[in-house]
Amino acid sequence: MSEASAATATAVDLSVDLGRGLVIDNPIMVASGTFGYGVEYGDVVDVQRLGAICCKGTTLRPRVGNPPPRVTETPAGMLNSIGLQNPGVKGVLEKYAPRWAGWKVPVIVNVAGESVEDYVEVARRLDGQPGIAGIELNISCPNVGKGGLQFALDAEGAGAVTAAVRAATELPLMVKLSPAAPDVRAIARAIEDAGADALSAVNTLSGMAIDRAREKPLLGNTYGGLSGPALKPVALRVVYEVAQAVKLPIVAIGGIGALDDVLDFLMAGAVAVQVGTAVFADPVLPVRLVDELAAYCARHGLASHRQLIGRALPERRDRPSTKGVEYRP
Amino acid sequence: MKLLDAELIQSREFLPGQWLQSYSAPWLAGAVQPGQFVHVRTPDYSGLVLRRPFSVNTYDRHTGEATIHFRVTGKGTEWLARMRPPEKVEMLGPLGRGFELDPKSRHLLLVAGGLGMAGVRSLADEAVAQNRRVVVLFGAATAREVYPSSLLPAEVEYSVATDDGSFGHHGRVTELVAQYEAWADQCFACGPEPMLAAMARLAATRHQRLGVAQLGARGRGRSAPRGTASARRKAWLQVSMEQNMGCAVGACLGCVVMGADGPQRVCREGPVFAADEIDWEGWS
Repeated sequence: MSEASAATATAVDLSVDLGRGLVIDNPIMVASGTFGYGVEYGDVVDVQRLGAICCKGTTLRPRVGNPPPRVTETPAGMLNSIGLQNPGVKGVLEKYAPRWAGWKVPVIVNVAGESVEDYVEVARRLDGQPGIAGIELNISCPNVGKGGLQFALDAEGAGAVTAAVRAATELPLMVKLSPAAPDVRAIARAIEDAGADALSAVNTLSGMAIDRAREKPLLGNTYGGLSGPALKPVALRVVYEVAQAVKLPIVAIGGIGALDDVLDFLMAGAVAVQVGTAVFADPVLPVRLVDELAAYCARHGLASHRQLIGRALPERRDRPSTKGVEYRP
Repeated sequence: MKLLDAELIQSREFLPGQWLQSYSAPWLAGAVQPGQFVHVRTPDYSGLVLRRPFSVNTYDRHTGEATIHFRVTGKGTEWLARMRPPEKVEMLGPLGRGFELDPKSRHLLLVAGGLGMAGVRSLADEAVAQNRRVVVLFGAATAREVYPSSLLPAEVEYSVATDDGSFGHHGRVTELVAQYEAWADQCFACGPEPMLAAMARLAATRHQRLGVAQLGARGRGRSAPRGTASARRKAWLQVSMEQNMGCAVGACLGCVVMGADGPQRVCREGPVFAADEIDWEGWS
C-alpha cells in the first residue's frame, strides 16, 4: 500500500497553466518580498523545486524604501513597511536575470510603480529578457505614497494599467489584487477584460502597531501591510469571490503555512498558491508542501490537484450574487 | 548557514528576567564567528509568525555547545524561557558578518550596554585565546542588572557603570571610554542605539582629541571601500546593531538601519558595522 501510494505520488500531475505559455511544474510558489531574488537562502532551500518564484517588487528607478523599523510581529501575523526598496529594473536585469536564465524554476518579476508610465516602462524593459518568466503587476502595495494601491481600489484604474502593460509586453501577466477593495470582483473583471493572463490574491492589508514605550507608531512609516495567518480568512473570501467572477486562473496568497491552507485555497477556486510570511519561520516549507500535496492527491486517488480546484464554490457559477455567498461590506 | 536542531542543555535565569541557555549544536559551534547570530524558530506558526534573532553569546568548538543570552520581553522569549532540557529548538545560522579583528591589534576595548553584552561576549573569549589584552566596559541601569564578572574570562579587565550609581561608576558606560581610548587599538560596542551613537561620536573625534598622529603615507593610500572587511578592520570602532527582523538572510529587507550609503541590512551587511557606515543622524 505504501509502495503504491509512493509510486502514485510521483505520478500526480501538479502542473498549472498560468496562461500565455507559462506552465509551472507545481502550484507552490513563493510570494514577492519574502524570498528576495531567490538567491538569499543559499543551500538551505532547493529553490529549483518550487513552482515559481515571485521576486521582490521592482520599480523603474532604484528605491531606498521606508525608514526603520520596517517589520513587527502582530497577533497571528506581521506588519511590513519595506517601501519597495529595490535596485530598479536595470539593477535586477543586470544582477539577477542572468542567474535566473540558468534556472529550472520560473522567476516572475513583481513590478511596482507610481504611474501607468512607470509600470509600462518596466514591463517594456523586462520583455524578451532571458530569465524573466512573467510579470506580476503589483497594483496593490500599501506601503508607497503615490500610485501603488490606488490602481487596485478602482476598476477603471486597474483596467487601464493592465491594458497599458499588456500592450507593452508579451510576457505572461499576472495582476495582484488588494484585499482592501470594496468590490474586488469588479476590479478582477476589469483586469480580465484588459488582457491579463492570471490574478494573484491577495496583497497585504494596511495596518499599524504602537510602540508603547515610546508612545509612538512602531513602524518608521507608521503604516505597514498585514500578512500571515491573520490575513487568511480575508484572502479566502477574496479568492472565493473572484473565482466566481472571472475565468482567469487565480493564485492565492495569504497566511499559507500548512497543507490544509493550500487545500482550502484550492477548494475556494485558486489554481496555485504563494507562500509568503511562513517562509520566514520555515524556509523549507514551500518545498515540503509540494511533496505533501502530491502525497495527499495520491492518497485520495486524485490524478491532479486540479481536481480540487473550486470544489467549495457554489454550483451555479454563472449566478452567484443572490445566494448569500458573497461578501457585503 | 544551516537549519539545525539544537538541544537545550542548561537554562537559567542568571539576572532578573535575563536568561542564559546552553545548547548542543556542534555544527553551529564549529562554524560561528564572534558577532554572528542565530535565528530561532518559534513553536507555533499560527501565533508567533517570526523567528527570534539572538547573538551567539559564547561557543565552544570542542564540546559543540553554544549559548544565547536574552531578556524576556514578550511571547517569544517567554516561550524560550519555559523550555527545559532536553527540548530542542530549530536554529538558522550562523548568520551575518561578525567582528573584524586586525591581526595587529593588541589591545581591544569592548563596550556593552545591558543585553548588548551578548553581542560582544564571544569576542572576549576569542581575543583572550589569541593572547590579546581585553578590557570590557559594561553599563546597566542598576546593580541588579550588572553582568557577573564570573561569567567573563579571568584575563579580562572589567569595569562597570550604572545609571543610578548603585555599582561602579555613577553614570553612562560611555563615560568610562575616555581612559581607554588611547590604549585601545580597536573598539567593539553593542547596546542601545543612543549608546552606540555616543560611541560613534567619540570615535569620530578620537584622532583629533588624542592628537594621534595620522599613520604615514603608507597607511593613507587608497582606503578600502566602506563596508569591506579591510575597511572595518581599519576602523577604530565597530558596532553590533539590532533591528526587528524578518527572514534574517537578506531577502525581506525588513531589518535595515540607515547607513551612510543607504539602507543596510542588519542580517546581511551586519549585524556588525564600522561606525562610519551608519547614518547616526536622528539618534541621540
